[in-house]
Amino acid sequence: MKFARLASLLWCGAVLASSPAFAETQLKVYLSSQGQPAVWRKALDQFEAHNPGIKVTIELGGATSDLQAQYLNTVMSAKDSSLDVLILDVIRPAQFAAAGWLSPFAGRDLQSYLRPYAEANTVDGKVVALPAFADAMFLYYRKDLLDKYGLPPPKTWDELAIAAKKVTEGEHSQDLQGLSFQGKAIEGAVCTFLLPYWSQGKTVVEGGKLTFDRDAATKSLALWKSFAEAGVAKKNISEVATDDTRKEFQAGNVVFAVNWGYAWALSQGDGSAVVGKVGVARLPAVAGGEQSSCLGGWEWGVSAYSKHQEEAKKLAEYLSSPEVSKFMAINGSLLPTYAALYTDSEVNKAAPWFADAVPVVRTARARPVTPRYNEVSEVIRTTVNAVLAGVTTPADGAAQIENRLKRILR
Amino acid sequence: MTVTSRLEQVAERVETRRAMLSRLLDPDETTLGALLLAPAAVLLGGVIVYPVCKLLYTSFLDLSLTSGAPARFVGLANFQQMLEDPVFWQATWNTILITLITVPGALVVGLGLALLANLPFNIRWPVRLSLLIPWALPLSFAGLIFAWFFHSEYGVVNDVLNRVGLPGAIWFNSPRLAFAAICLTITWKASSFMAMIILAGLQTIPRSLYEAADVDGAGRVRQFFEITLPLLKPTIVVALIFRTIAALQTFDIPYMMTGGGPGTSTATLAMYIHQNTVSFLDLGYGSALAVVMFILSMCVTAVYLRMISGREGAR
Repeated sequence: MKFARLASLLWCGAVLASSPAFAETQLKVYLSSQGQPAVWRKALDQFEAHNPGIKVTIELGGATSDLQAQYLNTVMSAKDSSLDVLILDVIRPAQFAAAGWLSPFAGRDLQSYLRPYAEANTVDGKVVALPAFADAMFLYYRKDLLDKYGLPPPKTWDELAIAAKKVTEGEHSQDLQGLSFQGKAIEGAVCTFLLPYWSQGKTVVEGGKLTFDRDAATKSLALWKSFAEAGVAKKNISEVATDDTRKEFQAGNVVFAVNWGYAWALSQGDGSAVVGKVGVARLPAVAGGEQSSCLGGWEWGVSAYSKHQEEAKKLAEYLSSPEVSKFMAINGSLLPTYAALYTDSEVNKAAPWFADAVPVVRTARARPVTPRYNEVSEVIRTTVNAVLAGVTTPADGAAQIENRLKRILR
Repeated sequence: MTVTSRLEQVAERVETRRAMLSRLLDPDETTLGALLLAPAAVLLGGVIVYPVCKLLYTSFLDLSLTSGAPARFVGLANFQQMLEDPVFWQATWNTILITLITVPGALVVGLGLALLANLPFNIRWPVRLSLLIPWALPLSFAGLIFAWFFHSEYGVVNDVLNRVGLPGAIWFNSPRLAFAAICLTITWKASSFMAMIILAGLQTIPRSLYEAADVDGAGRVRQFFEITLPLLKPTIVVALIFRTIAALQTFDIPYMMTGGGPGTSTATLAMYIHQNTVSFLDLGYGSALAVVMFILSMCVTAVYLRMISGREGAR
């Protein structure tokens, strides 16, 4: 008797809880711990205010793109329904779509976004994710030091090496490095390799086929190695990850740094030694080549296993909207995914160099698009790391990349 | 039908039921044995036999979650790919080398520590506690801590070297130095485990044996080799089995210290399995690699088990 009463009470409770009047949908957004979650939280609060009945919580993941991918790989391959909306590095949508982990946005038109992001989020004609923010690699430089020695921002890597030598020798400082870039075996090292490689007009994959140019690859690896050998970059450059570059530049110990857009706000924030002394320019080219940058940026995907598809898509649409893009540009120095925002007066007040960044993002090149990107990335980044550590020569390294990529992309 | 015959029928039914019940409540030896073994068998089957069989089966499949294609039976293709894979060979070799260096290393250091801790101190707990701490520390923490120790710019190792007038090294920039740093860390971590097991063994050796040896005029060294070591042998073999299997599965410390770098020169087999399954989602190839590691562990265990049973037979 008692049991029956209890059961009926429970049943009533369940009916009430699931009826629309009492429903509260809980959505969980997956974010990177280094991806300014506090700023995103403010955007999410706005969403909650406009959508009563939907509560959004944040789950924080690994600090780097690789660690996040590893975590998401385990969650998604277990068909876990606990995450609804995921932030994904621009290189991931292809892999996630191939694995069937993303819920496509049927009939969505991406024309209002910058073209590289419309392309990165469209897989086999389907829109699989929506752009969160744009990014590309830039050359950060110490405006004050370059002005002091009467040097313009370099247009080629050779000019950069000469300028770096001149400044570091003139400053007589033990701590001052000429150039900082990413030599650790992390995702950033893939871009390190590709920058001078692309600058020679070469591609890695075209139409799903490997178009690897071994000579260009050798040249690219040799260029970075020569920076370490000539003392332009520090000797332990093979230990340097993206955020190390950012920290050392911010501490005033670097003349030139290769880094993403996020480094700007931090270099102008509290505790920075270089406030007002930083310039941002396009990355240099190899002699006779074109200036090219690596396309970055992040996307919002909706998990195919989410139990709240409709609400999750609504949230992804909101997070990808021009309003949020502008909000994040002003408050988080994240590059907008809409061209018009780059010249928006409020945005330019917060980050003046955004005005010149649009052509860089537009022409930035995407890393090879393939579902097996993780393997491609691993081959390139460990080889860059091995060459910089002196374990392999640039020529052997290029041959290894070619052989291993052939096996992955056959 | 008469009343008596119905009563007989009922009595018969009751009798058969009671017989069934009594067979269940008071089974013969074989049934009892099977009943008692059943929970363990089900548990082992569920958590060991089934996963291992499934692993073996997966190792014959082309199963990659990134391809979106369904699993396909490919026979030994994954194992053939392994033979041509330089990273596999390097990782396997590194794993074996780590085992060969750190297991004896940890044994020697651990034995020394255990002998020290077994000395008749007044206050023993600080010594025992300091033995316990490295073992109680999670592996990945130990890896992180030592990664900082060996950091070329901020690390304490280079700082000490500089202070005594030696040049510091960029530890993780050279395959050999990085490997040495990893082996040192593993030895440090594993020594405390060895020391604790050996210390427990030392305490089972009766004091009277040493007193008798003293009376007979045997020196300290002689006592160690004639009494301590032979009586410790069973303990040491058990410690070695645990340690060797753990060493073959080395993952956390190199993962946190070098991530397998520079290049892939300090990657271990466990790291390579993790990379193929978790990062690349190539479950077929990852399973094949895991099968190799499983076989490797089985071989080592078999050798040790033989050592133990051989000794017992000689007794």
